[in-house]
Amino acid sequence: MTDKKENAPVLVIGAGIAGIEASLLLANSGRKVYLIEKTSYIGGNVIKFEEVFPNMDCATCMIAPKQQELLADENIELLTLSQVEAVSGAAGDFSVKIKQKAGYIDLVNCIGCSACFDPCPVEVDNEFEEGLTKRKAVYIPCAGALPNVPVIDTENCLRFKGQDCQACQEACAFEAIDFNQQDKELELKVGAIVVATGFSMFDINKTSQYGYKKLGGVYSAMEIERICASNGPTQGQITLQSGEAPKSVAIINCVGREEKGYCSSVCCMAALKLCHFLKNKLPELKITQFYSDLCIPGKAYQQFYQKVKESGVDFIRAEVTGVSESAKELAVKYKTDEGKENTLAADMVILNPALEPGADSAKLAGMLNIPQSREGFFSEKEPDLTPVATAQDGIFIAGCAQGPKDIAETIAEAEATAGRILSRSG
Amino acid sequence: MAKRLGVYVCECGTNIADKVDIDKVLAAVSALKDVEVADRYKLLCSGDGQGYLKQSITENGLTHLVVAACSPKQHETTFMKVCEQAGLNPYLFQLVNIREQCAWVTPDGEEATDKAIRQIRAAISRVHYHTALEKKGMECNPDVLVIGGGIAGIKASQILAAPDRKVYLVEKTASLGGKTKRFSKLFVNMESGPGLIAGEIERLQKSKNIEVLTESEAEQILGFLGNFEVKVVSKAEDKEDKEQNFNVGAVVLATGFELFDAKGLPQYGYGTLDDVYTSLDFEEMNLADGPTQGKVLLKNGQPPKSAAIIHCVGRAEKGYCSKVCCLYSFKFDRMLQSQLPGVKIAHFYSDLCIPGKANQKFYEDTRESGVEFVRSAVTEIAGGDKGLTVKYETETGAKGDLAVDMVILLPAMETSSDARKFAEMLNIPQDDKGFLAEEHQLLSPVASAVEGVFVIGCARGPQSIAESIVQAEAAAGKILSALVPGRKLELEVKTSQILESFCTGCKTCIEVCPYGAITFDEDRRISVVNEVLCHGCGNCAAACPSGAARLKHFTFPQIYQELKEVLR
Amino acid sequence: MGEGFTPRIVGFLCNWCSYAGADLAGAAKLEIPASLSVIRVMCSGRVDPVLVATALLQGADGVLIAGCHPGDCHYREGNYYARRRFALLKKTLETLGLDTERLMLAWVSASEGQRFGEVANQFAGQIMELGPNPMKTKISL
Ligand SMILES: Cc1cc2nc3c(=O)[nH]c(=O)nc-3n(C[C@H](O)[C@H](O)[C@H](O)COP(=O)(O)OP(=O)(O)OC[C@H]3O[C@@H](n4cnc5c(N)ncnc54)[C@H](O)[C@@H]3O)c2cc1C
Ligand SMILES: Cc1cc2nc3c(=O)[nH]c(=O)nc-3n(C[C@H](O)[C@H](O)[C@H](O)COP(=O)(O)OP(=O)(O)OC[C@H]3O[C@@H](n4cnc5c(N)ncnc54)[C@H](O)[C@@H]3O)c2cc1C
Ligand code: SF4
Ligand code: SF4
Ligand code: SF4
Ligand code: SF4
Ligand code: SF4
Ligand code: FES
Repeated sequence: MTDKKENAPVLVIGAGIAGIEASLLLANSGRKVYLIEKTSYIGGNVIKFEEVFPNMDCATCMIAPKQQELLADENIELLTLSQVEAVSGAAGDFSVKIKQKAGYIDLVNCIGCSACFDPCPVEVDNEFEEGLTKRKAVYIPCAGALPNVPVIDTENCLRFKGQDCQACQEACAFEAIDFNQQDKELELKVGAIVVATGFSMFDINKTSQYGYKKLGGVYSAMEIERICASNGPTQGQITLQSGEAPKSVAIINCVGREEKGYCSSVCCMAALKLCHFLKNKLPELKITQFYSDLCIPGKAYQQFYQKVKESGVDFIRAEVTGVSESAKELAVKYKTDEGKENTLAADMVILNPALEPGADSAKLAGMLNIPQSREGFFSEKEPDLTPVATAQDGIFIAGCAQGPKDIAETIAEAEATAGRILSRSG
Repeated sequence: MAKRLGVYVCECGTNIADKVDIDKVLAAVSALKDVEVADRYKLLCSGDGQGYLKQSITENGLTHLVVAACSPKQHETTFMKVCEQAGLNPYLFQLVNIREQCAWVTPDGEEATDKAIRQIRAAISRVHYHTALEKKGMECNPDVLVIGGGIAGIKASQILAAPDRKVYLVEKTASLGGKTKRFSKLFVNMESGPGLIAGEIERLQKSKNIEVLTESEAEQILGFLGNFEVKVVSKAEDKEDKEQNFNVGAVVLATGFELFDAKGLPQYGYGTLDDVYTSLDFEEMNLADGPTQGKVLLKNGQPPKSAAIIHCVGRAEKGYCSKVCCLYSFKFDRMLQSQLPGVKIAHFYSDLCIPGKANQKFYEDTRESGVEFVRSAVTEIAGGDKGLTVKYETETGAKGDLAVDMVILLPAMETSSDARKFAEMLNIPQDDKGFLAEEHQLLSPVASAVEGVFVIGCARGPQSIAESIVQAEAAAGKILSALVPGRKLELEVKTSQILESFCTGCKTCIEVCPYGAITFDEDRRISVVNEVLCHGCGNCAAACPSGAARLKHFTFPQIYQELKEVLR
Repeated sequence: MGEGFTPRIVGFLCNWCSYAGADLAGAAKLEIPASLSVIRVMCSGRVDPVLVATALLQGADGVLIAGCHPGDCHYREGNYYARRRFALLKKTLETLGLDTERLMLAWVSASEGQRFGEVANQFAGQIMELGPNPMKTKISL
């Protein structure tokens, strides 16, 4: 195994659920942990979900205690707005250069009161809400985001465009806004590295047949997750652009699977979860799922499928060839296995895309000198025997950075990286 | 000693001060019993604010502290640390949330001020009833017992063992390796299973800190995290039974799976028709030391020219997808093709379950090699002079027949027959499918409901080898993080406590404790709380009919004080 | 009802879900009736019938118990016990001829700031309609 300096600090990259779990276990054993996260908040994708399959646990309730524990843990140093710039050295003795972008908010002084948002004259799409709502140039992504400290987005802030705005600074009673903050470079010495950078969603715009972003009423699964969320853009209200609730919905699975060349493991379940949400909120809603193969592995998943099916969801095994607008509704054209063509009318269409590697995976892989799989995810050393180790001693992978998977598997992998790092079996 | 209370109201910049008339608040509370200081501060959580608070506590010789500021979720720990620094027990402090739950939600200033006064008075009354609580530690044993010597148990043992941590690996059969040692090839890279296991056993044997006990079973396990007493009995065939007793700090269950009994579904002809095999039979056939010396042969000694692979046997009966059978069936295709060039193979399936980044390619390559995939339900396997016939029906209702020489069934994977034994011995629940259940399906996938007991590999549900290993390493991660040799186990401070003189021994509390933290002391005829296991939920305190069970820091008198003041 | 009636309502909120939900309502600057005073408990399972009865005897016009949604309790199953106790308590109060509408049990998650606002306002409205707790005047402890 690795020859690592005992008790050397550990660097964890990515503060999704994988990074959080790994950090907590390592810190609890007494290790110093640097947790770096490129956004301003922790929790990754999971905090976007109202509830999670298969038991429909409340995601925030599940994650918030862990987030709070993490923020309070004295062994964990969280660096938000940070990314790896360079890595050198070997297991037990890595040197990592980190660049921390200035957020222009003093973390010590800011109390998270959000008084600075209102006066800001800039409004842009909130990417956390999939662009379904607006945010200011000084903002936190959503209510309850942790750490509860805003960030100034220099791409949109007028001041960084050369204009003389300081409305937010004037509104802050705590002198927490500091335009003189500079990006920081840090040099960390660590013994081991955990890569937990998660996934991105396949860009549906790379396909044209589904009318995404062109036709009203066509949404992505992640957009619907936010729309269903009580802390989301519509406080959980499901409405069409007309303001009315939809009467019929078509869910199209495996969007981008062909292009990516793999099954994303969680989308069938995610689609079933959406059915559950929609049926709960709109019991009369007619839902049709288009799918090719149901992938519902694991002991608890089939039951969830049966429950959803019994709640009155139709399942059609067919390939969707196009979505178009017809009169007031959308028309979903599809072709079954036997080659029969048909059309279904719906007033809302939900596209369920593949999960893909994060955009900066290649760059990170290069810096860490670890191989990527054919699909672009980070590769295990030996897929069977060392599923969380990489070809580089001392560098481990966990969660969706390794490949698409659900939360349980993500957490198990995170715990496994801690196991590998803390092991002194030699 | 006389009490000296300090009450501090934070302005929180303008956040509280804008709504709440803090001077009025101070006037209303400064004359209350034992209040020594009542003061306001601009921003108590700031460095300056904390410094001020600390100084004020010491200078005024305060014995109790009330801070009215933001939510405890924001700064309770901050102020508790200040208390510690000032030499005040942090549990003699109460935080009042007059920001999130008062100033921010009450539009009318007067109402907000009144509410703040009520809440602060409540905290003052409450804090009078607080008692100092101390953090406690408990000595713990870092050693680990691993039950089941399949790939999951082997890997867990390897990674846990260290000079200061002994691992006992208990295996029921005479040899380690579980099912994996009988798989000549493994998906997706077609390595050798026996080879893999041999390598792992060699590594295991190198460790001086692992004691392997084969032909052995754990007969009794008593205790809790950090301190289990174990009795293992070894029953080698030609030797006398040997009993061993030792202590460990954690237990890992890796007892694996069994196959669904295909005889239970007579339509498939297993056990009645020749040349109908289960997946495990087929694996045996491919082993050099197997019944056919590794050759795929029919009962009549001839190699088959065609084979049908039937998916999801028993899936409907079990109610879940076994996750790995689709994948290992593509491995079977390759095993057949490499021995029998030109063999015709057809899969009968409904849905392909091939999650994960690398697996679709494995499937696509299979398909391109000429294997046929028939999406249909198999209604019957019929025997005859010329071989077997697979009768099937497609989703659209079309019926068909296919004649083949050999049929391989892919039966569901089910819980091992010993799951119940361990569930009862350790008091851990089985899920509705009979597998040993996890503490939380998502958040805590390898821990069981009993702290210190972990479940990994196929004992917790169908898994691949890689997933089983992840779980082995995950259990190791949790154990290595919690049980550090030479370090005491840190216990929850706000635990429940049972007052001996009040307890009538009715055992109500034992029944309601979600963590099994309460046991009955037969000698004293009362219930006792194990502080290692108590999480401090207070359920026992709410249930106890005689007021004997008390949750520290949330006792009835404490809550009562709060209650009576907010109702004034 | 009741000219100048300012009710006193206590809310026992569990630390992990409902209290966090109430905080979120605060962060969103929703309006919560000032008549509601929150008492934080670790779990809704800590709230025993005696506490609730005491609150009523002390003159509370309404008692709200809020915890995590079923299945989400931080302590596995505290809220199931809370639910059972609540049902029993209601029955007992009924047999004593007391108003059971003065009690409410609600599930509010840590992300449901909005919902906490709705629950609080709805319950306060209900109490306004019921008027003062008669025990306040009848019984003085
Ligand atoms: C629509 C949808 C619904 C789902 N629903 C469920 C469900 O109900 N139940 C379930 O079990 N699973 C569900 N999943 C799967 C679940 O989202 C994942 O299992 C989980 O998010 C994986 O966590 P992670 O920590 O690996 O990655 P992520 O959640 O993606 O977190 C990665 C973190 O790393 C950060 N990061 C990325 N790159 C860098 C970098 N270079 N430097 C620093 N930081 C970086 C990111 O900002 C992020 O914070 C769903 C997935 C989708 C797409
Ligand atoms: C036909 C078939 C082919 C497969 N092929 C592959 C493949 O190619 N690749 C792959 O990744 N996965 C494959 N799998 C899955 C693989 O078998 C499991 O992932 C793996 O065996 C799980 O290991 P385990 O240690 O959890 O359980 P097991 O292998 O079942 O081992 C459990 C061990 O515990 C012992 N035990 C049981 N009860 C007790 C007790 N009371 N006390 C002491 N010891 C006890 C048993 O004797 C056994 O040694 C296949 C499964 C099947 C059915
Ligand atoms: S400086 Fe002006 S534009 Fe920039 S964040 Fe502040 S208020 Fe917005
Ligand atoms: S920067 Fe200032 S105004 Fe903005 S949230 Fe922080 S403390 Fe409040
Ligand atoms: S893995 Fe394949 S064969 Fe096994 S139960 Fe699931 S779908 Fe059926
Ligand atoms: S419920 Fe109370 S009286 Fe009964 S055994 Fe438990 S502590 Fe003793
Ligand atoms: S407080 Fe909760 S965990 Fe502790 S003994 Fe009582 S019921 Fe059990
Ligand atoms: S912790 Fe919220 S109800 Fe138990």
